[in-house]
Amino acid sequence: MSMTSGINRSPLLLTILGCAAGIFVLQNGIGTQPTGKQYESVTETLKNGNTRTVKKLKAGVAAPAFQGISSSWQRDFNQGSVQTQGLSPDQLLFALAGFREMIAGILWVRADSFFDSGNYDAILPIIRLVTVLDPKQIDVYATGMWHIGYNFTDEEQRSDRRYIPSALALGKEGARNNPLTYEMFFETGWMWYHKIDDDYSNAVRWFELAQERPDMLPARRNLITNAYERDGKVDKSLDTLFKLYEAAGKKAKEDAAFGNKQNRDTLENKLDTTLVRMVQRGWFAGKDGRPLTGYDVNPPFDTGFSAKVTVTEARVLRFEGTWNVLPVGTRIRAVLRDADFPNAKPAGMEWDFSNDVNLDPPRDKTFMQEQLFVRNQRFNKKVDMSKDPTMYPFTSKDYVIDFYYNPRSAPPHIQDKFSWNGEGFTDKNFLNTQVREGQRVMFTSVKISKDQLLRRGDWREKVPVIKTANYLDKDGKAYNQADQVTIDLPSLRAN
Amino acid sequence: MFRPIASIAATTVGEAIRRKVLLIILLIGVLFLVVAPGLGMLSARSETTVLRGMMLGIIQLTSAVIAIVLTVYMIPNEIERRTIYTILSKPVQRWQFLVGKYFGAVAALLMMMTLMTSVLVFTFWLQQRDASAIPDLIKAPVMYFVQMSLLAAVAIFFSTFVSPLVNFFLSGGLYLLGSLFAPFFQTLQESQGTPQAAKIFAQLVNTILPNFANYNIQNPIINPGQQIQNESSYYLQVTIYGVLYIAGLLVAGTIVFDRREV
Repeated sequence: MSMTSGINRSPLLLTILGCAAGIFVLQNGIGTQPTGKQYESVTETLKNGNTRTVKKLKAGVAAPAFQGISSSWQRDFNQGSVQTQGLSPDQLLFALAGFREMIAGILWVRADSFFDSGNYDAILPIIRLVTVLDPKQIDVYATGMWHIGYNFTDEEQRSDRRYIPSALALGKEGARNNPLTYEMFFETGWMWYHKIDDDYSNAVRWFELAQERPDMLPARRNLITNAYERDGKVDKSLDTLFKLYEAAGKKAKEDAAFGNKQNRDTLENKLDTTLVRMVQRGWFAGKDGRPLTGYDVNPPFDTGFSAKVTVTEARVLRFEGTWNVLPVGTRIRAVLRDADFPNAKPAGMEWDFSNDVNLDPPRDKTFMQEQLFVRNQRFNKKVDMSKDPTMYPFTSKDYVIDFYYNPRSAPPHIQDKFSWNGEGFTDKNFLNTQVREGQRVMFTSVKISKDQLLRRGDWREKVPVIKTANYLDKDGKAYNQADQVTIDLPSLRAN
Repeated sequence: MFRPIASIAATTVGEAIRRKVLLIILLIGVLFLVVAPGLGMLSARSETTVLRGMMLGIIQLTSAVIAIVLTVYMIPNEIERRTIYTILSKPVQRWQFLVGKYFGAVAALLMMMTLMTSVLVFTFWLQQRDASAIPDLIKAPVMYFVQMSLLAAVAIFFSTFVSPLVNFFLSGGLYLLGSLFAPFFQTLQESQGTPQAAKIFAQLVNTILPNFANYNIQNPIINPGQQIQNESSYYLQVTIYGVLYIAGLLVAGTIVFDRREV
């Protein structure tokens, strides 16, 4: 049986044309696109206490031309550009079909199980995939950044600092992709403040960016004052403390919740302590041009740094030395790195040199950083790099050992003598004002060869010892051993 | 004029509910929704993010499979079983038959998606004990419903002239393309090296293809704290877009089906 029905097709074709025209206009919009300047960000508090930032047309601004679904979707709902390398075919298919967040979630759950089992290497590609699939997952950025920066360690729990530029790059990418929330700005600042623990101006820069975001938590907001102090901007820190204290007081009056009152009290305490320290350390006197006689920081204290490095076995070093500060809390930074380590600088590197998240650090390069803890005015630390050949490959011919101490990183009880910028600090042999511009630090550096580090060639039978000229043994005698070859470190006095 | 459409739609809903394959897909979807909270014990916020992402993904995926499986067989089955002759010998126009079938499919889809959304809401509430996030969460399944209605229209259009197996891959492929092309289009438009002709061509394809990505609004819901401009107006626009596209496809399907000898 054959059946057809004849209908008038003209109105149907006209309907299709009408629909097509409507679809075109809706999808692509008409007229000029509105600019971001016509909108203002309005932070709304949700019922559960979380905040959500919504962009709304500014009052008095005429409604922009209709911009189309395509532009709106890309602006508000798009998960990011198409980069799906590294996914398995089934994951790729799902990701392309619009299930990116679901795949990201599954991968993140998988990463969590790797965390539990300690399989840290497996987590790295997952972090990258999840952030590519869903660049709005702030937790993945924050956790990933911490993981890359902190968790790759050797057998003695020393961090692999070759990963830090990647961690910072991930933080920067997270901040770029989530500019409305403070979190990635804060996390990146924290990496500078706590992990790198040097170049505090970068911590300040990121904390200031975080501070601009309205959703920042009060306790975290307060941390910027510490960063200002470590950056040597004590007046700025005090100003900020006053502002924060005033705001916290107002908040506690409006809402007498325990957290608000506690925050106000914490700030009051911190403000008191800072003022006392500023007086005792002669900060105000120094600013007024008054003599610093009688203040704790005057006269500057000579730390009398001396050091000896012995290559006891291949890839095993013993750091010994003196530091005349009796109270505990001093940690002297020792760095051993390739002489041609990319982007290296004295006692560190240009950590922020890359914007690309490269999860594969320079595996043919060595960068060891250790903190030498001082007790009873001496330090003595064995650094065994023989068990971690991937972290310490020693492929280059020449290496550098740096010793570095910056009073800005010192704990408060030591800063009470040295002050924030090292005004009360000196070292007659190794004071340096060049390696960190405008700062008084202890720094010295020496070269060492691969043969010496690996105890091979001419050094197979001899023990290489590098020492400063002023180094004295524990019994106070000048160091002298016939069977060891000593190499003197350069010092101000020797130069 | 509308009574035959309503009758055919009602019959279609009944048929859909009785189809075991659809019920199995639905059951699997619901099962996944129920077990989703147990998949990972992450930090509090990660857990919510993953939970939302997984649950919305499950609803979207299950709904897409149901929408395609439900509609690809509709017309060919009627022809194959010859039941279409009985219907068309009555005072029922072909367009009424097609539209009735479509509405029946959409109504069945609505029922199934409502069930899944209810499970989503209940499970989320059970897990998080936080009802404030639920209104936001429901926005996604609502938009998915419009998306799946569009997908059903695509499948029913193809079902007027291709076999179910071909239609399955055709509709699925178009869904994939329509979901992928929006971000791809953006990449092309933003790339300064792309020739103008390629950009125009991309714009043309972006307009012609049913843009399923318009309804993928889950990202700001999964990751709260993102900014959305003129949210309601956007949802209204994409709904109108969907309705217009569906209307266009149904009219085109009517023309094709009308010319077809059965």
